[in-house]
Amino acid sequence: MILYTVQPFHLMFPEEGNYGNAQNVIMYNNIPMLVERMGDETRIVQIMSTDPSHFLLEDCQPGKTLGNV
Amino acid sequence: MDQTPETETPNQPEISPKKTDDNNSGLLQKIQSLGQTNVPQMEGSSIHCLTIVGQIEGHMQLPPNNKTTKYEHLIPQLVAIEQNHKIEGLLVILNTVGGDVEAGLAISEMIASLSKPSVSLVLGGGHSIGVPIAVSANYSFIAPTATMTIHPVRLTGLVIGVPQTFEYLDKMQDRVISFVTSHSDITEERFKELMFSKGNLTRDIGTNVIGTDAVKDGLINAVGGVGQAIQKLNELIEENKKNESEGLKQ
Repeated sequence: MILYTVQPFHLMFPEEGNYGNAQNVIMYNNIPMLVERMGDETRIVQIMSTDPSHFLLEDCQPGKTLGNV
Repeated sequence: MDQTPETETPNQPEISPKKTDDNNSGLLQKIQSLGQTNVPQMEGSSIHCLTIVGQIEGHMQLPPNNKTTKYEHLIPQLVAIEQNHKIEGLLVILNTVGGDVEAGLAISEMIASLSKPSVSLVLGGGHSIGVPIAVSANYSFIAPTATMTIHPVRLTGLVIGVPQTFEYLDKMQDRVISFVTSHSDITEERFKELMFSKGNLTRDIGTNVIGTDAVKDGLINAVGGVGQAIQKLNELIEENKKNESEGLKQ
């Protein structure tokens, strides 16, 4: 892997331990989104769709929790 | 890929009958777990928007403190955009610090080979591997305040310093240079001059090109914002439609 970036290496790879919650991509109502597990809840981090109308849906705004998915 | 069936379905006012039949239990489960049924479907947009932010992630997953663009998600979306007849154009919005060379070039090649019109817009920054992605669209815009850093490809992390390493890096760099020069109006000479110039960046060789300068050098087509970008995309879509209908007549 060769990185071609202006960001310094130490900013991209911080010390072990502060990596935060695990994130993964799921399909919810046919919208691909990046979610984060917080205990029993699943929180939306980012909408991954290319359709701009998906970003206007009230039910899937980043920060919302999805409950058990 | 999963989204193709959804976007491919023609304008259906409500949930299709097939869905309600075999999804009765699924619907109940959804109400129990989420407290709601399906959200109403909005009419899909004919212009899709690809946002390329943060680091472009390659074969290695970056720690979650990085904001990343994952190529394995973008590529199926680009395939869906190419296949779906309801989508007429693509707007690529960039605010990236760069990232993996191979992943960046993969996204660039995908955008460049789309049969549908594409317009890119650099907002904030389109650095390093963001440069080939910005020029891969049919027409490119840059915000007046946005910048693009052009610098040599070099290794980060553990490096075994043998001459072969540098040859390999040189080849990597040539791939970036040849892509940029073949998809924009900048000459190879000028691009290399920007890449290797001294005294512009504080800790590296290279140049930080600002909006209007990027246009002067021929790297980007025009200075503008989202309004101009959408307008240009609509023009290109019209042109594309005209060409298609002429093709049908012949």
